[in-house]
Amino acid sequence: MSRVVVTGLGVISALGDSVFSNHDALVKGTCGISTGELVKSKYTESLRFGEVKIENEKLKSLLGISDPSATRTSLLALHALNEAIKDCGLDVALISGYDTALIGASTVGGMCQTDELYLDAKSETVGSAFMASYDCASVTLFLRERYGIKGVTNTINTACSSSANAIKYGTQLINNGYAKRAIVGGVDSLAKFTINGFNSLGILSPGFCRPFDKDRNGLNLGEGAAFLVLEREEDVKNKKPYCYVAGYCNSNDAFHPSSLSENGEGPYRAMKGALDLASLAPAEIGFIGTHGTGTENNDEVESRAMMRIFEKVPPFASAKSKIGHTLGASAAVEAVFSILALQHGEIYPSLNFSNPIESTGLRPVSVTQKLNLRHVMSNSFGFGGNCTSLIFSKA
Amino acid sequence: MFIHQSSCISPQSTFGNIDLDTLIAPENNILKVVEPKYENIPLNILRRMGKAVRIGVGAALPLIEKANKLDGIIIGSANGGMEDCVKFLNQIIEYDEGRLTPTNFVQSTPNAIAAQIGLTTANKGYNITHVHRGLAFENALLDAMMMLKENNDATYLLGGVDEVSSYNYNLERLGGWYKKEKITGVDLYNSQTNGSIAGEGSAMFVVNNESAGSFLEVKAIKMLHTNDSAEVAAQLNHFNDVNGPHNAWLSGENGDVRVQPFYQACENNLTGDMAILHFKHFTGEHPSTTALALWLANRFFETKKIPSHFFKSTPAEKPIGSILLYNSGKGEQHSFLSLRAVEH
Repeated sequence: MSRVVVTGLGVISALGDSVFSNHDALVKGTCGISTGELVKSKYTESLRFGEVKIENEKLKSLLGISDPSATRTSLLALHALNEAIKDCGLDVALISGYDTALIGASTVGGMCQTDELYLDAKSETVGSAFMASYDCASVTLFLRERYGIKGVTNTINTACSSSANAIKYGTQLINNGYAKRAIVGGVDSLAKFTINGFNSLGILSPGFCRPFDKDRNGLNLGEGAAFLVLEREEDVKNKKPYCYVAGYCNSNDAFHPSSLSENGEGPYRAMKGALDLASLAPAEIGFIGTHGTGTENNDEVESRAMMRIFEKVPPFASAKSKIGHTLGASAAVEAVFSILALQHGEIYPSLNFSNPIESTGLRPVSVTQKLNLRHVMSNSFGFGGNCTSLIFSKA
Repeated sequence: MFIHQSSCISPQSTFGNIDLDTLIAPENNILKVVEPKYENIPLNILRRMGKAVRIGVGAALPLIEKANKLDGIIIGSANGGMEDCVKFLNQIIEYDEGRLTPTNFVQSTPNAIAAQIGLTTANKGYNITHVHRGLAFENALLDAMMMLKENNDATYLLGGVDEVSSYNYNLERLGGWYKKEKITGVDLYNSQTNGSIAGEGSAMFVVNNESAGSFLEVKAIKMLHTNDSAEVAAQLNHFNDVNGPHNAWLSGENGDVRVQPFYQACENNLTGDMAILHFKHFTGEHPSTTALALWLANRFFETKKIPSHFFKSTPAEKPIGSILLYNSGKGEQHSFLSLRAVEH
């Protein structure tokens, strides 16, 4: 079977609006987290967010969109999708064919318009422009229409691991002959809905999140989007792919709706399954882009699961210390970061770390370093016990 | 892919004592599910579940209890736990983002059904939720087919669930997707106006690659996004050429004059001796009706009986051994399924 390779990348996050600017910020160890400026919530100024500092009207004009029903989620997604399609160099006519799949992932979808949704759910007579834009599928359908993509189109929601499963599903579509190429990724925008949701669970940090630190006290929410173009290796003889998708595994923790089991059975099985599918020994993984949210529960459990699998835990970091937790986008955005690490042979630091968790003693990468990488792992775990790990390898 | 056990909680008598001959009529153009007593869900857990989670878990549990092993849970649901979503939304606005209780937030996520099934049955396998509106269940089905290609000996729970909540009912109503004049049942198909009747339901299937003991094989699936009825008809012809012939055409027609041209264009193109069936008078309209239609097809093959109210054409005299199912989500999302009876 021909391998599935990554030939295009697009990303927008609190670190920048392109792969280039994100890479630059990763190398410099920049933090994209700040007090909110654009998101409308009571907590805009008191909490910190990984916010994309481009307002909706500006995004619309950059993208040439006048559609009043386009939500911020759809706009961020289109921004990243445009970049990924341009990057892969494929003819737009080819993109629109029956053999191109488009797989999106989101958790908030158009519910970033929280106040409009409240009114529309109660209105007796007329609805707002966003009436058909609240669900997660609206985002993928908006993207599909822009390029007239005719192949399998889907939207996945496994909470914070959503876009990892979009990457998995796209890879499978190609492997099973349902598509020749697949554009896969995820998006979420900051929303009153999710800010209040995570706040009600008491897991938002009042300051900057501190993944894997002994004194970590919660996560920062972020927003962004990322898309990857996947193709069959045999179809791309004339260009150099970034890497290939070597392994994936989705496994449920089946412990609690919003926290992970002590031993991290779900995370363990996801990492183990991805290694098995890739036919790799744990020691062959050169870097782990962890889920690393900065909550008390996640970081300790993830550490423990890594220690169960890896005799010596490889260098690891949490991108969420720079961009916040971008929910449905996080797996795709962080996959792009892991692929950049693989491409450039370097690993990027985790920020705001001082002291390791006593029971694990694990320390994330603290400065940008050059490192010859062959295989990188990217972890994503979500509410409902939805755990997925991906492995990308040098082509 | 073969269907083994299946179950269905719907607006009709499909759970427990199954009776497909008696039709329950819609009330105010809404077909609401007939909920069972859920005796196998602990009361303290049941109380916290929204309706979508309840009918999802309620339909899944009896199957899981019977299955020897289950390698994962694959769900399609466009709206997931919308009832909880709107409850949490109301809290945000009405308490001005004050101190809120997280229960509704955690249950509001569309993956709550698959997650809750996994949690209740301690299933640590594959777990995923597809939410692609009118093709949420179809993508779940394709996912199951691909997982079975990669894992030949595996068995999965596949399901489709959607509820009528105050939230999505109102949005759909404002969007003109429900009829204004009163519909009593099969008169739905004679209507010349916009919209359909609202419905909800949950259908669950145990699927694997083993034909023994199964009554239905899912041969093929095709999904399509277009608003051109000629394109749908052409794609259907191609699908039928590759996967046919089929004895029966199971149409998702729903009485909406805006969507009818798609069903008609396909029906007009059908050749050969095919019985014509429809089912939306039985299920109502919602994004995951294909799951319920699949449950019906499985039941037809298992009992070798099809109640006459499902026939649009003259009831067939010959037994029906293969079905071509077509459903359209609002004339934008389309799916074809090729279903075959398994002969034992």
